[in-house]
Amino acid sequence: MTEIKIRDLALDRGGFRLGPIDLSIRGGTATILLGPTGAGKTTLVRAVAGFLGLRRGSVEVDGAPVDREPPERRRFGFVPPGLGLFPDRRVARNVRYPLDIAGVREAGKEARRWMEHFDLLGLAQRYPHELSSGQRQRVAMARALAGHPRFLLWDEPLSALDVESRDVLIRLVREVIEDEGLPLLLVTHDPTTAISLGSRLAVIEEGRIRFEGRPDELARGPLDRFTARFLGYENLYTPSELAIASDLPLVAALARIAGPGGLCVPPEAVRWGTERWAGDSSARVRSVRWNSPAWSIDLQLGSLPIHVVGAHEIPSVRTGATVGVGIDLGKVKPLEGSSGPAI
Amino acid sequence: MTDPSPRGAVGPVVAALLGASLLALFVLPLVVLFLYVGWDGFVGAASNAGFLTSIRFTLLASGIAVGLGLLTGVPLGYLLARYRFRGRTLVESIVLIPVVIPHLVVGIALLLLFAPDGPVGQFAARLGFPVFDAIWGVVLVMLYVGASYVVLSSQLAFGAVDPEVVDSARSLGASPGEAFATVILPQSARGIATGALLMWARGVSEIGGFLILAYSIAPSAPWFGPTTSPASVYIWDLYQSSAGLEPAAAASCVLVLVALAIFLAVRLLDRTGLYTPHGGWLS
Repeated sequence: MTEIKIRDLALDRGGFRLGPIDLSIRGGTATILLGPTGAGKTTLVRAVAGFLGLRRGSVEVDGAPVDREPPERRRFGFVPPGLGLFPDRRVARNVRYPLDIAGVREAGKEARRWMEHFDLLGLAQRYPHELSSGQRQRVAMARALAGHPRFLLWDEPLSALDVESRDVLIRLVREVIEDEGLPLLLVTHDPTTAISLGSRLAVIEEGRIRFEGRPDELARGPLDRFTARFLGYENLYTPSELAIASDLPLVAALARIAGPGGLCVPPEAVRWGTERWAGDSSARVRSVRWNSPAWSIDLQLGSLPIHVVGAHEIPSVRTGATVGVGIDLGKVKPLEGSSGPAI
Repeated sequence: MTDPSPRGAVGPVVAALLGASLLALFVLPLVVLFLYVGWDGFVGAASNAGFLTSIRFTLLASGIAVGLGLLTGVPLGYLLARYRFRGRTLVESIVLIPVVIPHLVVGIALLLLFAPDGPVGQFAARLGFPVFDAIWGVVLVMLYVGASYVVLSSQLAFGAVDPEVVDSARSLGASPGEAFATVILPQSARGIATGALLMWARGVSEIGGFLILAYSIAPSAPWFGPTTSPASVYIWDLYQSSAGLEPAAAASCVLVLVALAIFLAVRLLDRTGLYTPHGGWLS
């Protein structure tokens, strides 16, 4: 099983500093690279693929540095965000391209094997522009794998897919990396993809890896705003938002326990009702809508919007009504500063 | 074709009428030319040995010029499309110079540079490339007035190739040269071919530069035929002769048909499947 090690990797690119980054990916596992726009995900992937020069550090395959090798010698199955399919070649010739370049004798047979795996045989004579986005993504993956890569490096290949197509692709990718013992570094914005596919997560922010570990470790650890958003938490408030609304006793109590990055009020920490509880504040109902499989209610507490879920029966309130609101402060999660120390 | 305008809009009708008037301007003079010459006149010109020699010479010279235009213009187009470098704007401006200079001026300037008794002209002749009143003079003028089209078309074609596609090819094992040959060049082939066709057409229709630099062509490698002139100059000579308009018009018909035949052949090649829907080649 191949192991990829990224050691102390750093580079400068147009005022942006990436690194130092250390990351290790074992064969048969996927590491999902997450981070906000501009965090350095694509720069890291392109650097590892060999398209950008490093200021320092190295990329190692089974302990052997490859950072002096050009992209074509690394045998990294790189798939860029736009997939990089050859528009003038039919699917079959796209998939067999790496085999033709390598001079493989039975290129057609080998390409056919990968087309079969990704259910592309019926599309072999089509051009990329004649395919759906899911089909194009399958072609890109089949082509990347046909070249017998040592490592898969995919930059958002699962974006713009419907849930069903994405789930099928995730299953195929899991099978392939496990069967072939390949390490995969995959960039995605999509938490579902990350959780479904990722053996490990790496969260990158401002050019540095701020967390690396299993998804459950991320959920258990201290939260910052990005991680909270990634994990699907709602009702995130900055300290200044809390300060503005702190004339309400309930918000003042929240402000006292907020962290440097503010805090997060999970919807299950909010209790509300048409009757008033002693010490609680009142809020206005902004909207009530069916958000399958439950009703979703947006409240306005002073200047703070609060989202509440969980009602399976039609709520007894309407938009514009005033309700009583309480928050279980024990369930509230303070947020770390976004540029604080690495998690 | 889809109609983006609501039914009954006058805009498309006005546009069609204005466009049709331009198309009429393109076609009507040729119709009149062919009617004026008639079948007998055409056959007479098409069997005139002197004129056929002139056409053969013109095809040879224009073929060499287009070959040299591709050899030098395509790499320049590639550099301009894919690299940002200091002086790039200056280079782009220089590429456009031949498009804006009157071609008689091109002939005079080239004559001054390659004067038979000047150092450059003598040096070229010693290398086996005599310019004044020789095939290389014709090639030089054609190259000067037409190669810009190859550069500009290549630049556009190379610029349209998605860099991600090239990166993918590299990551799939292609060296920079292999990525150029298997990915960039096939996708740019149609644009480059269009530039070559425009260059060829521009060279064949040239006359100003020939009148100054290469009016009467003496045999020298690679032209081993009799002394002749480029076809446009040959027609000009006929027009200036005592016979006047009639033989010049007949020869013009032959030249127009040769040019249209080559143009149509290239267009047909375009439709036979050698190109793919996205401008690729033989996929």
